[in-house]
Amino acid sequence: MALYPNYPLQTERLRLRPFTRGDVDAVFAYRRREDVALYLFDGPLSREECALAVQQRIGQITLEVEGDKVVLGVELASSGALIGEVSLIWRNVDARQGEIGWIFDPAYQGHGYATEAANALLDLGFGPGDMHRIAARCDVRNIASWRLMDRLGMRREAHFREHALFKNQWDEEFVYAILWQEWHSRREASDGG
Amino acid sequence: MSPALPIDTDRLVLRRFERSDLSALCEYHVLPAMQRYTLGRTRDRDEVAGALGIMRGQISLQRPGDTLTLAMIRKDDEKLLGHVSLHWTDCTAGQGEFRFLINPVHSGNGFVREALSALFDLAFGHYRIHRLMARCDGRNHNSIKLLQQMGLRLEAHYREHALFQGEWDEELHFAILDREWQRSSKVEDLPPRHRVA
Repeated sequence: MALYPNYPLQTERLRLRPFTRGDVDAVFAYRRREDVALYLFDGPLSREECALAVQQRIGQITLEVEGDKVVLGVELASSGALIGEVSLIWRNVDARQGEIGWIFDPAYQGHGYATEAANALLDLGFGPGDMHRIAARCDVRNIASWRLMDRLGMRREAHFREHALFKNQWDEEFVYAILWQEWHSRREASDGG
Repeated sequence: MSPALPIDTDRLVLRRFERSDLSALCEYHVLPAMQRYTLGRTRDRDEVAGALGIMRGQISLQRPGDTLTLAMIRKDDEKLLGHVSLHWTDCTAGQGEFRFLINPVHSGNGFVREALSALFDLAFGHYRIHRLMARCDGRNHNSIKLLQQMGLRLEAHYREHALFQGEWDEELHFAILDREWQRSSKVEDLPPRHRVA
């Protein structure tokens, strides 16, 4: 179902909101880093590239047709600091398929912020977005990322070995996924507790 | 880079499809048990003729996106038993996908395995493919068993990731790398008396 969310999305400690022009420096702070770029398609970004990326993200706030992508900045409710970004892609309209992704500033790691933000995005996709299944993918070596998928209640559905080249090396990739009914029973359980 | 065809195996000849294969192809291609898992619809002679026309054009791999389809002919009686195909999906990463279909009357005799072994030799040897994969419906137990027996690895088990023929699809991906296939097919077991332990 086409999705026009009311922003910001509030969680306990975070706000998920559209990007603005003022975010370039905060995005540059983490997208410039080698360790952040390691498993992304792009290498480390320059400040100019970050400005372009932010410019592009400003318009990515609704799902209207297949392939559309929502990209939201994640900020701390307490300080307003931008700590990363989350994305939701509408992969298939008929089969109601979505894909989520995230990039976080390592400076804010270890507080459960990524889990909190990604859960809010699952709620958006399965709730107002009426999706049936949401998937996520990552490099096998990106342990932090697939551990997060585990915490979200996603199942490991695929482990591809040398199925493609990534940055001039054989790629090894995990695909995780969660179905609507699995998400729903998790939320029921947590409401009951 | 055309392969040397036809390919001879113990009991089969793998060759290109011919116009005269239509009746024998209809025998199995229109069966509901086959239609259940095939991507294209071929429910009558005309639709099978269309499929045959396409397969007759799939005679070698020149560029990514090309498909090679080979008919499995039994040597004894020159009967068409089924077919196997090899699809070249990616050149730089050396990726290929294969498919197979056999007339259920002849299944259970190892013919598909024999044909696929020859197809793997062709893919890894002649075409220098790095990784071969196959997709398979979660309910298709015969294919799952065959792929496991041939040493392929279950790499993906997708649940309800797509709609297929009006239902939620359950899809398995099996794969094998060139070095894994070379080892299993080229290493020959010693007779028991030569074994040390």
